[in-house]
Amino acid sequence: MKSEFAFIALPVSALIAPSAFAVRYLTVDQAQQAIFPGKSFTAAPVKLTSVQRKAIEQASSVRVLHDEQQVWRVSGGGWFIVDEVVGKHESITYAAGLNLDGSVKQIEIMDYRETYGGQIRDQKWRAQFVGKTSKSTLKLDSDVKNISGATLSCRHITDGVKRLLAFYEIALRH
Amino acid sequence: MKFGLTFVAALLVAVSPSHGHEAIFSWTYTTDLTPKGHGECEQWITTRWEKEHGSYSVIDFREEFEYGVTDNFQLAIYLNHHYVHANDDVPAEDPAHPGNRLRGAYVTGGEDVHAGHNPATVFDSYHFESVSLEGIYRLLSPYKDPLGLALYFEPSVGDQETELEWKILLQKNWLEDRLVWALNVNYELEFEKEDGGGYARDGMFEWFTGLSYRFVRNWSAGLEFWNHHEFTDATVHEHSAYFLGPTIHYGGERWWATLGFLHQLPIGQAFSHDNKEFAAHDGYIFGDEHEKYYVRFRMGINF
Repeated sequence: MKSEFAFIALPVSALIAPSAFAVRYLTVDQAQQAIFPGKSFTAAPVKLTSVQRKAIEQASSVRVLHDEQQVWRVSGGGWFIVDEVVGKHESITYAAGLNLDGSVKQIEIMDYRETYGGQIRDQKWRAQFVGKTSKSTLKLDSDVKNISGATLSCRHITDGVKRLLAFYEIALRH
Repeated sequence: MKFGLTFVAALLVAVSPSHGHEAIFSWTYTTDLTPKGHGECEQWITTRWEKEHGSYSVIDFREEFEYGVTDNFQLAIYLNHHYVHANDDVPAEDPAHPGNRLRGAYVTGGEDVHAGHNPATVFDSYHFESVSLEGIYRLLSPYKDPLGLALYFEPSVGDQETELEWKILLQKNWLEDRLVWALNVNYELEFEKEDGGGYARDGMFEWFTGLSYRFVRNWSAGLEFWNHHEFTDATVHEHSAYFLGPTIHYGGERWWATLGFLHQLPIGQAFSHDNKEFAAHDGYIFGDEHEKYYVRFRMGINF
């Protein structure tokens, strides 16, 4: 009986615990140092009001899924934000560093559970976001290159950055 | 037991960690394809059973290998084989009144019972049915365009029948691509071997539609609907049959699996005299073509 249970338990555990295969590339601390090396960070989480949420959605044309946003103020100026977007099977966690003027300094992929399309971690792909502001169009294919077989992930990260830039304008700038 | 565990463990960890095309529905195709330079091995197992009378059950097996030629063009090869058990499942014809059923009398028959089989005896057989090739070309992506659109062509060649199948595949996503709707419009020409030699030509028009929602990470569930129209000699409308049922899908980094169930709805319509007489029963359409229950399991491993 015990061995039969083990036979069933192995594939079942693989089914219900898929995150065992997940790839965690960076912790929050590591992402902070990758984007703003040598700086210190002060947590400044933001809870959006329904008015702000609506305004962000209107400005970015991207739905806001969470009212709470993890934000850190960077010493010497700038913002560090951890965000999550929907992937093909699971969530994709990434960090965005914004300059004092609200333009993108750098993005880093922290968690990517969609093994296919892992090229979104490539510096060349992430560099496409550098310097973008809330005025940028940020459209997949025309502004941001798509990665073969990972269109959904590319589009959702692109939309996520677009939403964060609108979030900066509406909730952080003033 | 140790061998079993080792085999399962090996299967789970040995496959290369990637995913491409995966079927979130059991019957309905989406426009997702295997990306360029990647492949997928897929196993289909479909069981279908219950007709008007007697016993009838089939287990269809399909092994598929698909390959992404470009990001928008996929080729696949299928091996189709099945196990069939049939006994007294179709109404017998009245020899005194050809074209009419003999009330209360049944013989062994159905689409999967081979030509030449004695209808008075049980049919119990495993049979290698055919080899199919499949090509899908995607014109629009649901992730970049307002609607996903792809064209599908599949020829199959077997010893009992030859088939040509065309499909138009449509897909629309909502809610960050977690809610997926797909529609397939199919036309199929079948050339089926007859008892007296030669081939009978049949046409099929059918459409499948499905709606699925990813309710937690990795898991989605939905409903599928199928409407099938049969045409004798590809011209005479014989019947319309309807099916509805749930489907559940798991998609992970290394592999995916989908399980679906369809129940024939008792709202079928028979149009030809032959189908009214032999296929229609209590609102269901049986005859050669359909069963009451269908369960399909698909599993894919990408590399």
